[in-house]
Amino acid sequence: MNILEISDLHMSFGSNQVLRGLNMAVPEHAIYGFVGRNGAGKTTTMKIVLGLLKAQSGSVTVCGEKVSYGSARTNRHIGYLPDVPEFYGYMRPREYLKLCGEITGLPAAEIKSRSAELLELVGLAGVNRRISGFSRGMKQRLGIAQALLNKPRLLICDEPTSALDPIGRRQVLEILSAIRGQTTVVFSTHILSDVERICDHIAVLEQGRLALAGTLSEIQKQHRRNSFRIRFAAEEEGRAFSQLAELDRPGIELELEGRELQIVSGDDSIGGQELIDLLSAQQIAPEKFEAMEPTLEDLFTEVVK
Amino acid sequence: MNHFFVFLKKELLEYARTYKLLILLTVFIIFGITNPLIAKLTPDLLANFMPEGMTVTIPEPTALDSWAQFFKNTQQMGLIVLLLVFSGVLANEISKGTLINLLTKGLSRQAVIAAKYGAMLLVWSVSVGISALLTWIYTVYLFPGDPVSHLIFAVFCMWLFGAFLLAVLLAASALAKGNYGGLLLTGCIVVVLFSLNIIPGAAKYNPIALAARNMELAAGAAEPPALYPAAGITVLAVLALLGLALAVFRKKEL
Repeated sequence: MNILEISDLHMSFGSNQVLRGLNMAVPEHAIYGFVGRNGAGKTTTMKIVLGLLKAQSGSVTVCGEKVSYGSARTNRHIGYLPDVPEFYGYMRPREYLKLCGEITGLPAAEIKSRSAELLELVGLAGVNRRISGFSRGMKQRLGIAQALLNKPRLLICDEPTSALDPIGRRQVLEILSAIRGQTTVVFSTHILSDVERICDHIAVLEQGRLALAGTLSEIQKQHRRNSFRIRFAAEEEGRAFSQLAELDRPGIELELEGRELQIVSGDDSIGGQELIDLLSAQQIAPEKFEAMEPTLEDLFTEVVK
Repeated sequence: MNHFFVFLKKELLEYARTYKLLILLTVFIIFGITNPLIAKLTPDLLANFMPEGMTVTIPEPTALDSWAQFFKNTQQMGLIVLLLVFSGVLANEISKGTLINLLTKGLSRQAVIAAKYGAMLLVWSVSVGISALLTWIYTVYLFPGDPVSHLIFAVFCMWLFGAFLLAVLLAASALAKGNYGGLLLTGCIVVVLFSLNIIPGAAKYNPIALAARNMELAAGAAEPPALYPAAGITVLAVLALLGLALAVFRKKEL
C-alpha cells in the first residue's frame, strides 16, 4: 500500500517552473530518500504535501485522503521535520512537546509518557534548559521528537542532516534508522551517502519530475552497464591486454590507470564471461577481476548531467 | 476552542518569559501611582520653579486633574508602549517559521488569530485596569469627595480604543512583512483616523473620539450617548479587522 501518492503535480514561482507533472508513490514502512539538487523542488513538494503551499494543479493523497491547501486534516497522519526547525526559545523541551501534544489532542498522561520516551530516543532526556541555548543538532533532535509525538504514519524530514556536523548527522540518521518499520519516512536530501546509509527506496527529482525511482537495487539493476575493473600483476600486462583487437570496438570504453584497467561496455558489447575467456586465451591471471555496480552518486550524476 | 486555549496559554507564557508582561505592568502601575501624585504636586512644583517675586494663581488641584493625567498618560505613553511591545505579533512568527510545526500538527489558523488577539487584549485589559484602579485609590485618598462623572464609561472608552488599536496592529502584522512593518502601518492608520476628523460630522463616528473625549465625560461636559456611535463603529471595526487578519493569514504561504 502507498501511504503517499502524488499525481501530476505542477508548481511554479513566477516564471520558475519548479514541478512539471511530478508523480510519486511512497510505499508504507519505506525509508524513502527524496534526492535532488538544491532548488530542485524537494521542499516545495513537501510543503504541498503538508498543505502549506498551494499547487497549481495535480493531486496529493496521504493515507488515501486528499490533501487540501490550508487544511491540516491530513496532517494528523504526518510528522514534519523542517530543514531548520524553529522553536520558541523561551520554552523547555518538555514544555514544547506538551504544547505540540495538546494541539494534536493527545491526553495529558500520554503526552507525558510519550515526551519522556521520545526525549530518551533523541538523547535529550536529561536536558531541561531553554531551547534558545540549544545547538543546531539538539534542535534537529528535538524536531524529530516533536514530529514523532503523535505516532505519525508518515514522517517527512526536509534535509534533516544538511546543516549538521558529522556527529549530529550520525545521531539523526541513527534515530531515523531506529524507527524503521514503525513509521514511513520521506527523507529529502542532497547528501547521497546519507541516502545510501539508511534509505531503502530512492527517488531523484530533476527538472520537476522524478528521473529515477525505486529501491536502490532495482535502480542499480535498471542502470547497470557492463562495467569491469581488472587489476593486472604488471603494468605491461594491462597495456598489452587493453590493446587487443577484441576490445577495440565501438561501445567499449577503456581506461588504464597503472595496473588497473576499467572497461565500460554501454550496450552489452562485451560481457564478463567474454573478458574472462580473453584473459584466459592470453594466459593472463589477473590479481583482481571485479564486475562493478553503479553507485548512487554515479546514477545521480548521470541523471542530472 | 481547545486550540484557542492551548495557543492562548502559549502566548501568555511568551509574554511572561520575554518580559513583555513585566514591561507593560510596570509602565501601567507607575502611571497608576503617579497620576494622582503629579496632579497633587504640580502646583507646588510650579510654585517652586517660578522666578522670585512672580505671582501666578494656580487653581487648587482636584480629582479631575488626577484623571486628566490618567487619560493623558494612557493615551500618549501607554498606547505607544503597548504597540511597541506587541509589534510584529504575527509577522515575527511567520518570518521565523515557528508556526510551521504547530500548523502541521493541526493547529487552525483561526485559533492563532483569535488567541493572539485574546492574549493581547487580556494583557491590555489587566494593565489599564490596574492603572485605573491605582489611580482611583490614590485619587480618592488625595482628593476625597471630589466629583467625577461617568468614570467607568470614560475608562471603558479608553480600553475600547486600545482594543481597536490591537486589532489594527494584528491585521497590519498579517499584511506587512517584518517586525516594524505592522507598527508603521498601524501608525499610518491612526494618522488617517485623525485626518478624518476634518470631515464635518465624521468625528462623532471616529474611534479616535474614544481616546479624545474621556475628560469631557469625566467632567460631565459630555454624556455617554455622545460616544455611542464611535463605540459602535469601533466594535464593528475590531470584528472587521480580525476578519481581515484571518483572511490574510489564511492565504499566507508558510
